[in-house]
Amino acid sequence: MRLTEMKPDQNGLIQRIGGDAHFLKRITAIGVTEGTEFQTVRNDKKMPMLIYMRETLIAINRADAERIEVETI
Amino acid sequence: MKNAIALLGQPNSGKSTVYNALTGSRQHVGNWPGKTVEKNDGFYTYNGTRYTVTDLPGSYGLSGNSDEEIITADFIKADQADLVCILVDASQLERSMYMVAEFAQLNKPAVLLLNMMDVAKAQKKEIDHKLLQKRLGIPVLPFTAAESKGYDELKALLAKELVSPHKLASVPEIPAGGDVQAESEAKYRWIRSALAGVTHSEQKHFELSKRDKRLLSPIRGKFACFGTILVGFLAAMIICFPLMGIGSMIPQILNKPIADLLNGWNVHPWLVSIFSIILPNTLYFCIAMSGFVFGVNLVFGYLEEIGFLARAAYQFDGLLSGLGLQGKAICPILMGFGCTIGGTCGTRVMDNWGQRMLTMAVVWAVPCASIWTIIPVVSSMFFKPWQTMLVILGILLYVVLLMTIVSKVFGRTLVPGSSRSGMIMELPPYHKPHWKHILKEAFLKAWDIFKRALRTVTLISLLFWAFSYSGTGNVADSLLYKVGTAIEPVTRIFGLGWRTFMGFLSSAFAKEAVLGVLNAVFVGEGTVLDATFRSAFNVATDNAVLGQAMSNVVSKAEALAFMCACTFNIPCVMALSTTYRESHSLKWTARIAAFYVCGALILACIVYHIAALFL
Repeated sequence: MRLTEMKPDQNGLIQRIGGDAHFLKRITAIGVTEGTEFQTVRNDKKMPMLIYMRETLIAINRADAERIEVETI
Repeated sequence: MKNAIALLGQPNSGKSTVYNALTGSRQHVGNWPGKTVEKNDGFYTYNGTRYTVTDLPGSYGLSGNSDEEIITADFIKADQADLVCILVDASQLERSMYMVAEFAQLNKPAVLLLNMMDVAKAQKKEIDHKLLQKRLGIPVLPFTAAESKGYDELKALLAKELVSPHKLASVPEIPAGGDVQAESEAKYRWIRSALAGVTHSEQKHFELSKRDKRLLSPIRGKFACFGTILVGFLAAMIICFPLMGIGSMIPQILNKPIADLLNGWNVHPWLVSIFSIILPNTLYFCIAMSGFVFGVNLVFGYLEEIGFLARAAYQFDGLLSGLGLQGKAICPILMGFGCTIGGTCGTRVMDNWGQRMLTMAVVWAVPCASIWTIIPVVSSMFFKPWQTMLVILGILLYVVLLMTIVSKVFGRTLVPGSSRSGMIMELPPYHKPHWKHILKEAFLKAWDIFKRALRTVTLISLLFWAFSYSGTGNVADSLLYKVGTAIEPVTRIFGLGWRTFMGFLSSAFAKEAVLGVLNAVFVGEGTVLDATFRSAFNVATDNAVLGQAMSNVVSKAEALAFMCACTFNIPCVMALSTTYRESHSLKWTARIAAFYVCGALILACIVYHIAALFL
């Protein structure tokens, strides 16, 4: 499923990140890599996704978050 | 030995705090050769030796996501620094060590600062920095950048390492093939093995604080953001009013003694008016301007340091994505409602130059506080109160439209589709503000504006003075009048007579000057020059008299055209000069200025001709 389809307060694993090299470099530099565990914090319409991973609260632009495939655990 | 130190770190690592604390006001701002990216150099002396410090630009990594990252990587590769001081956030060690993993590839001497130790301690995180130092092979120093007590130790460490430098003991093994994800996974593996046993980090369940629950909720949060910023503006006004008050006394105190003194020496009246009117008023003008910049920066510096601005960026990212910008642009745009200069400086938070330049262009569309001192006054001379409300509403609606137009016109070139990047940022935990640091930063910015304003405003004032000088004291004898009336047939197309066109021109100099100039050209009291400087600030303009005089000569349609032209003209000369300084691009500054002048005139033209049909 997509990251944006998750409900708040769910735990998940990053499965696949799509997009060009530019996007991949940016998103992995902040700590979002495949196989990393995370927790969704907020998921509101028309707002960035808010997730918690690697001890950091991270906001990801909604259109960008669409490109991240996850599975819940 | 050139003793060159470079600072490297992710956003929120406290890099600029360390840079400012080390170098103080011994800083130089320039350009990276051939680039529009700002280069910050400074120096300090320690034990009689001079050390230079370069604040390296960039974002979360060194992989060439932007001009900034390429410059930073090239700078380190070319050995332009003898020692690289890397900053990481001790409270989020694993994630912020990514910069160290990226740096490791370059194989250069380095020291590591574990910054934000105060935050890590508050979160009860224990870090075995000695073990980390052993593993990495470079010195590791626990640090709190916003407290002044650790800097002696830092300077001693840097001095020692410049003499006998260390390099990282191990490097992440990067798989061949250029797969971005495999590469960064390898880097995080390297980080994990370096941190094993150094600190204990596990994925715990995260719960938003009460404050964040409110501030991050979609609707309530937006209101809370607006409310906070409104209170912030009020606070900024309260802070800068005393400064402006002191400044406003300067012309009153200096004017007469200087005039008397010079007249006593039989100096030519030209020179007397320069020294007794222009220079004291320029000084006042600059003090008032930098006072405002100080207030706005103090408040926004505070909001940034406690972590509020990151939340505001989260709130408005969806809205601003539509303009090709991202959430972080909300801060400069809101600052623009107070002062365009402040907003222009505030664009530093943006990720790359293109987005920064585009944000500056958008900030220009935001009417600053001074515009609201003109529009209601002029409007009420021609219209009933409810009509004035409509005028103001119309202006606000056009602001939104103009921001969209600006982002469409310039967005394609400045932020092309390929480099459009949405917001990816961390929301840092709330920090306690370090007031000393915030005050110092705000003061440095205000001082910088003051110095530059003094130069620019003096120059422009002298030019304006030359054009408006008339030996007889009558406006009709000045060069301004002659040129103004000569081109009136053209300005009429835009609904501007020569008098209102003068008002339009002065609105590009400073919005504060508009009413004074109108008074001079319509009522004929005082010279245009006197009016530009004096009436706006010190001598209350008699609006009833001005209104009478204006409505005799100017039609309602022309008045509407004039208000539109003034509001959406270039904000002021200092905003122009600040935009040039911040963007380092004369071409783009000129382009945007031309766009605004033409845009204001076209708008005036349209408004005039449509309004003339009905009014």
